[in-house]
Amino acid sequence: MNNMLELRINGFGGQGSVTLAHLLAQAALENGEQGQALPFFGVERRGAPVRAAVRMSPGSIHAHSQCELPDYVVVMSEKLTKAAVSEGITEKGSVIINAPYAEAVEKYCTWQVDAEAIAREAELFSADGPIINIPLFGAVCRVLNIPQNIMEQTILNKWPGNDEARNLGAAGKAYNEVKICPPLL
Amino acid sequence: MKTAQVIMDTGAHAAALAVKSARVDVVPGYPITPQTSIMEALAAMVENGELHARFIPVEGEHSSMAAAVAASAVGARVFTATSANGLLYMHEVLHMASGGRLPVVMCNVNRGIFAPWTLWADHQDSMAQRDTGWIQYHCSSNQEVFNTILQAFRVAEQINIPVMVNFDGFAISHCLMPLTLPPQEDIDRFLPPYEPEWRLDPAHPSSFSNVTNAPEYAPFRQMLSDDIMASIPLVKQAAQEYKDITGMWDGDTIDTYRLEDAEVVAFAINSMGAELRLSIDILRQQGIKAGLLRPRLYLPFPAEDIITALPQNAQVMVLDRNYNFGHPGGILASELKSILFGCRNDITVKNRVVGIGGIDLTRQFMASEIRAMMDE
Repeated sequence: MNNMLELRINGFGGQGSVTLAHLLAQAALENGEQGQALPFFGVERRGAPVRAAVRMSPGSIHAHSQCELPDYVVVMSEKLTKAAVSEGITEKGSVIINAPYAEAVEKYCTWQVDAEAIAREAELFSADGPIINIPLFGAVCRVLNIPQNIMEQTILNKWPGNDEARNLGAAGKAYNEVKICPPLL
Repeated sequence: MKTAQVIMDTGAHAAALAVKSARVDVVPGYPITPQTSIMEALAAMVENGELHARFIPVEGEHSSMAAAVAASAVGARVFTATSANGLLYMHEVLHMASGGRLPVVMCNVNRGIFAPWTLWADHQDSMAQRDTGWIQYHCSSNQEVFNTILQAFRVAEQINIPVMVNFDGFAISHCLMPLTLPPQEDIDRFLPPYEPEWRLDPAHPSSFSNVTNAPEYAPFRQMLSDDIMASIPLVKQAAQEYKDITGMWDGDTIDTYRLEDAEVVAFAINSMGAELRLSIDILRQQGIKAGLLRPRLYLPFPAEDIITALPQNAQVMVLDRNYNFGHPGGILASELKSILFGCRNDITVKNRVVGIGGIDLTRQFMASEIRAMMDE
């Protein structure tokens, strides 16, 4: 339990939070650990706030609740930052934000990546707009020190033969571009 | 020799994969959240030829169980699944399956019942079927769902009683986790093809389930009651042989954690039984000798195993995810008190109703509930 890493994804319905949670859990397994993705299903609507729990652990995972005090909060849209962090995070937790600018959140170690710009540049679009969960997956893997080849293999296993170059390009760019925001004074 | 394969999958899909590897013949189904993904997966497997079974889409759950009963009566291995109000709608036909001694296996993905409407888990739906004559398992993990469905078919077909395999909606059904799939030949060894002692057969016409007079009716009901009790050794045997073949173990009638020296015992079913392990660790760190007893079998209630497993003078904290209307608290507490009465006067039973309609049950919350109950 002490070695279990907990992460919560906060996003808007339609942004691909559930798929991001699944990718991260699969990456944990690919990386030789146990992984769990537990999305919270509300009355699903596009645009409504959604969340998903992700857990990674070298040993068995027994938790089946939503992450109340995660070690990491992934914010799919900077508009949700305040609400996402106020849902709970550990004292020494980190925040990973999809935002066009770098701005630390309160006292938390804050990582920033412009997933939307990366998705646009890679021409990754769905009917709802740019597909941000693929670059965010790359960024979160980097923050969690999951090797880039594991990250890439997870994507290839998930969508074999489908947009491989663009998916890997966007995820790889985010993997290398995600950075820590200067702490607030 | 082939080895087990590890994949990532949801609890609902784990159920569908177990049903596939049980080589069922007939799957009647009607969708209801959160069970729908089981039916979707099975329908797809039948469609693409992975599963050689007849999928019967019906117009409601009453018909779904009626189709299951009919298919089982002609000797087919049958599976269906439901949740909440779908299970309630089946209620009448559940009695037909058990009274007809038909070994149907069904998953009930636990969800609270209306009114008001809720989509999320509690155990009012399955507990409301307590007196239908079905055997009921309650599972705490995706892997246990997979393993239990295979054990359920075996027990059901050995004693001709239908079995309900329950697990929590969303917390298990939509939770993606590693799942170990034993090689198919191992599963075939554990669960041989269904050979009914009796079946409806047009070549040898016979009638089934006639009106009976009391002298015939009463012994039938007595046999059902006796055989439900007699399933306990079969449940244990199935768990043990499944372990011998696959190496996997989820407990037999009960599952325990840090129980031997416990002074405070958490008593709960389903996914709470997994998360509570973490609560027990928290309480142990606080210096409280806590342990867990999770009935895996709810019906028949494994009285002897519970009575034997509870340490001397333990305070038992029953966390019920249901109401026992007309009594304070929940149904599990009531069941536990009834088996302890007169034989374990050293045990104190305390009870809280928690997690109704999917209220999140975190390890921290349950640890603090148990602490608070200690002072009551």
